[in-house]
Amino acid sequence: MVTKSEETQLNSLENQVDNGGGGAWEYLCLIRKLKVRRSDKVLKHGLSILNDPKQRSTLGNEEWTLYEQVAVAAMDCQCLDVAKDCIKVLRKRFPESKRVGRLEAMLLEAKGSWELAEKAYTSLLEDNPLDQIIHKRRVAMAKAQGNISVAIEWLNKYLETFMADHDAWRELAEIYVSLQMYKQAAFCYEELILSQPTVPLYHLAYADVLYTLGGLENLQTAKKYYASTIDLTGGKNTRALFGICLCTSALTQLTKGKNKEDKEGSQLQSLAAKVLEKDYKQRAPDKLPQLTTALNSLTLSS
Amino acid sequence: MGSNSLRYEIAQNAYIKLVLHSLKHPTSAVNGILIGRISPSNDVVEIADAVPLFHSHIPLLPQLEISLILIEEYFSAKGFNIVGYFHANERSDDSELGGVAKNIGDHICRYFPQAAVLLLDNKKLDSLKKSKERSAIMQLYVRDTSKNWKLVQSDANNRLSLKEPTTNVVLLDYIASEKWNDIVDFDDHLDDISKDWLNPGLFN
Repeated sequence: MVTKSEETQLNSLENQVDNGGGGAWEYLCLIRKLKVRRSDKVLKHGLSILNDPKQRSTLGNEEWTLYEQVAVAAMDCQCLDVAKDCIKVLRKRFPESKRVGRLEAMLLEAKGSWELAEKAYTSLLEDNPLDQIIHKRRVAMAKAQGNISVAIEWLNKYLETFMADHDAWRELAEIYVSLQMYKQAAFCYEELILSQPTVPLYHLAYADVLYTLGGLENLQTAKKYYASTIDLTGGKNTRALFGICLCTSALTQLTKGKNKEDKEGSQLQSLAAKVLEKDYKQRAPDKLPQLTTALNSLTLSS
Repeated sequence: MGSNSLRYEIAQNAYIKLVLHSLKHPTSAVNGILIGRISPSNDVVEIADAVPLFHSHIPLLPQLEISLILIEEYFSAKGFNIVGYFHANERSDDSELGGVAKNIGDHICRYFPQAAVLLLDNKKLDSLKKSKERSAIMQLYVRDTSKNWKLVQSDANNRLSLKEPTTNVVLLDYIASEKWNDIVDFDDHLDDISKDWLNPGLFN
């Protein structure tokens, strides 16, 4: 997960490299640091460095890191020959390495040789049962084969040991959402909010899941978390602003006839609506008419 | 005239937008809305345009509800309806219409009872270059009388047709030039409202 400024920095660097302005090594390092998935670019620019003996020699020991990075990117792009070559080079340099063994197992996975890959991962785990990457590869393999329930089971087990792995909690939440198991997804987002309460995306995702679940209590809580998202993002998050409007409208539908005066609620909705209209007027003026009508229909029902 | 003989004809721009959208996000499921109208002869649903929707958190309601409200608002003013739903599965070997797609399809049927669901056929997409396939690389699903989504078998009586016969040739051209980079979906719009989900000028 990257911040907007990190993404901007990465994109401008990518643009520079793509257009022949140099900086490929910095770009590749940034990709590694931010853990972003841009395998086609990594493959292209990584290979150009590796295939140039002059550039390669300036890397020193980082050369091996680059081979590993390119191998993984190649596997993601299904360029298995390139991956194989990189892994061969690494194997030659580090004959006893378990890290290279992991890459070899990943290559089996990329080929679709599920059983062989499973065997390789299991044996690697015997020697190092705390290798997080291998645990996660096994979950990924289950997911790739369509064994979603197995993936869920293993991911849950993984999280019992590695409960601070936020990416794993997010993955589990997304798998639950894809299966429409919203309650379980909500639990994952609750864990994430507990451990990282200032990350607005978790508040937003939690609110979205609660809204989808529906019901009076969930809608009221969803509204609170849309509000906290707005708080944490300085009012700039379009989805949260829409969320407030949707929640208020849905809540009013539910509490129709019951004499609940929720002045605060409708205030919040009109504030959110105003911010949205102002933003659209500035940045997407041709979409403003539809927005205004939409917001009116949402407030009319409240 | 029951809806079990209704045909669906998809225009080039709509079709290409949907496929390019799927190609832009190869590691996730994507979906889209079909826009069109029923022909004056009442036997063909003409899918004139498409709006790519999301590439993340597809089964969540808030983003779907907002997008449908805004899309409906825009197109009804132009005399068009929401006439169907497009879905592309996350995994390339998954050719089933999943629960989420069916649920959203049901939702769309509230707008347009004869709504179609189109599922991207990954195998056909894969082999498109070699196969020189001239028909749509999508599967057509319609609801039967018990409101279950049923696959309409493609046969001589093809109920899903491409309006322009050279559509796949044009598609392959755009794929070769990596045109998918220019596609904007509703997810992109919600992240940055200056991005236009109408994709004007995409095919200029």
